[in-house]
Amino acid sequence: MLLLRQYLMECKLYSRDRVAMFWTFAFPVLLLLAFGTIFRSGSAPSMTLVVTGAAVDGPAARDLMEALRQSPVKPLVLKPAEAEARWRKGDTPAQLDCAPEGMRLRVNTYLATQGQMTAQIVQQASLALQVHRDGREAQFLPVAMESPGHAHSGNYAAFLLPGLLGLNLLTMGLFSVGMVNVSYREKGKFRRLAVTPLPKWIFLAGQVLHRLTVTFAQAGVMLAIGYFVFGIANQGSWLLLVLVMTLGTACFMSMGFALSGFAKTSEGYGAISNVFFFPMMFLSGVYFTLDSAPRWMQQAVTVLPLSPYLKALRAVFNDGANLSGHGLGLAVVGAWTLGSFLIALKKFSWA
Amino acid sequence: MTTMTTMTTTLALKVRQLRKQYPNVLAVDGLDLEVMRGEVFGLLGPNGAGKTTTLEMIEGITPADSGEMEILGLDWKHAGAAIRARIGVQLQSTSLFNKITPREALTLYGSYYPKCRPAMELLELVQLVDKADAYHMTLSGGQMQRLALALALVNDPELVFLDEPTTGLDPQARRGLWDVVRQIKREGRTVILTTHYMDEAEVLCDRLAIMDHGRVLTSGTPLGLIQQLAIPSVVELAFAAAAPDPAAFAGALGHPVTARGDLWEIPTQDPKALLPALLEAAERAGIDYQQIHVRRATLEDVFLHLTGRSLRD
Repeated sequence: MLLLRQYLMECKLYSRDRVAMFWTFAFPVLLLLAFGTIFRSGSAPSMTLVVTGAAVDGPAARDLMEALRQSPVKPLVLKPAEAEARWRKGDTPAQLDCAPEGMRLRVNTYLATQGQMTAQIVQQASLALQVHRDGREAQFLPVAMESPGHAHSGNYAAFLLPGLLGLNLLTMGLFSVGMVNVSYREKGKFRRLAVTPLPKWIFLAGQVLHRLTVTFAQAGVMLAIGYFVFGIANQGSWLLLVLVMTLGTACFMSMGFALSGFAKTSEGYGAISNVFFFPMMFLSGVYFTLDSAPRWMQQAVTVLPLSPYLKALRAVFNDGANLSGHGLGLAVVGAWTLGSFLIALKKFSWA
Repeated sequence: MTTMTTMTTTLALKVRQLRKQYPNVLAVDGLDLEVMRGEVFGLLGPNGAGKTTTLEMIEGITPADSGEMEILGLDWKHAGAAIRARIGVQLQSTSLFNKITPREALTLYGSYYPKCRPAMELLELVQLVDKADAYHMTLSGGQMQRLALALALVNDPELVFLDEPTTGLDPQARRGLWDVVRQIKREGRTVILTTHYMDEAEVLCDRLAIMDHGRVLTSGTPLGLIQQLAIPSVVELAFAAAAPDPAAFAGALGHPVTARGDLWEIPTQDPKALLPALLEAAERAGIDYQQIHVRRATLEDVFLHLTGRSLRD
């Protein structure tokens, strides 16, 4: 019927737009590959301990370095001049100065976290040696590394993937729906349609169905890459995932339609949409959590729909949880969807 | 809730006191029109006369400020969908999606109507068969116009609106389009077109209305309008460069003479009587003209007479 034909024509025309297809499919995949690889966890930061000083060959220093062999700290013996030069450059997280009267540690305040960790390990080794010299064995408490039950992956790529899915939706809604329609109207492409009996809603529905198809195709590609390259798998129910994504799609597409009614030109639309786009893109937890951001900022962002959407999405995808506890967040998304839809109905016109 | 009786009226279009005000300009100022079924009706006027605005109000794209319209006996408020199904529209410029082909466009737009003509048939009519599967953005201006015309016919309409259909076309394409309009008329449809070309109006239109500044100045058949002028002929003197001021010569001749560009125009009832006197007066005054023509009056002259301006500014 008419809607099906309209939908198929949208698909056909879209497939001829190579540029749009690149930005929709290839670009997010590239982002995922790049960031996922760069921030691949499991590679612990290197803990280099520069060892220098007059007594560097003395028994105390050698015993300590022997004790550190089992640890992640890597001693690097340098001449005093070289060590000083490296220190000045700021490359050394921690340095062990071996003087005849005793050893001391220097920690770089710029690399405090790394330096402190390194220093602590060195302290441990030093204390263990002292206990050993007193004739006893140091008793370390056993430490077990355990995952908290559901398979929460520490991999940044696993965190990023749902974020990118959310970003895709935001971009598609605001630009592929919003900007495109403003541009069509501006260029007069709607005028010819206005004289035909084509009902407005069929045209819009055809567009919506098409964008929905693209969203799921896109998500499919990202999930496949995530699985085969990074080993990321959906931890939760596929049904819940699809439901949340459908709600998200409805929300951002409605926003795009609604915003498109307020601008007559592409430039005007760009200005309006940026007000919504940039805060959401950077502050909604796409690339990083806002856990360490100020309280007021965290709360301000929950008013916009992307943040609660991503929380719900990650709950299902990363934590394998259900959506209880996300009721309020999803209600926010729902409110944006409904509100935008009503505004879109009122303000969308052919001319 | 539509009544099942078909209203057969002899008028394809009736417009009364149509008005459209834009912030800076009164585009259409109390316009009346009547178009009979089966005729080709023209709206002739210079650019800015309000022809396109008028047409767009009738087509339902632009809302009118006031006035009444009856299209095929129906009005927009109550029977919008019915009107749209029975009219065909060629806009002044048609913007389609970039990578759609003519064949696809005709099929797509055809699908919006209860009945539609096969794409191939229309492509043959407007001679776009060899471009049937080319992307719209690769078509030339003339080809786009022809596609727009085919689109206007896709629903087998009773009433066809053509807005400046030959603007920007080369002479051969213009002739081709005139042939299509004649074909449309043979098929029994009503055509309403706008143009600022006088020859087009004369050749194509059964009746026409001359418009300027949002109003109809006069209407009738092309021949009738020219005859109304009561000056059926014009003698032209062509000069090498800009025509000199004719005031003195007109006085000597005893006949009005107007200068236009490189021409002197002398309208007259009886060229046979005027010519000898004219030639002699020119000789005596030493007027250095290159050529002399005698032509019959045209709609251009009618417009000039009505407004003091030419159709093409």
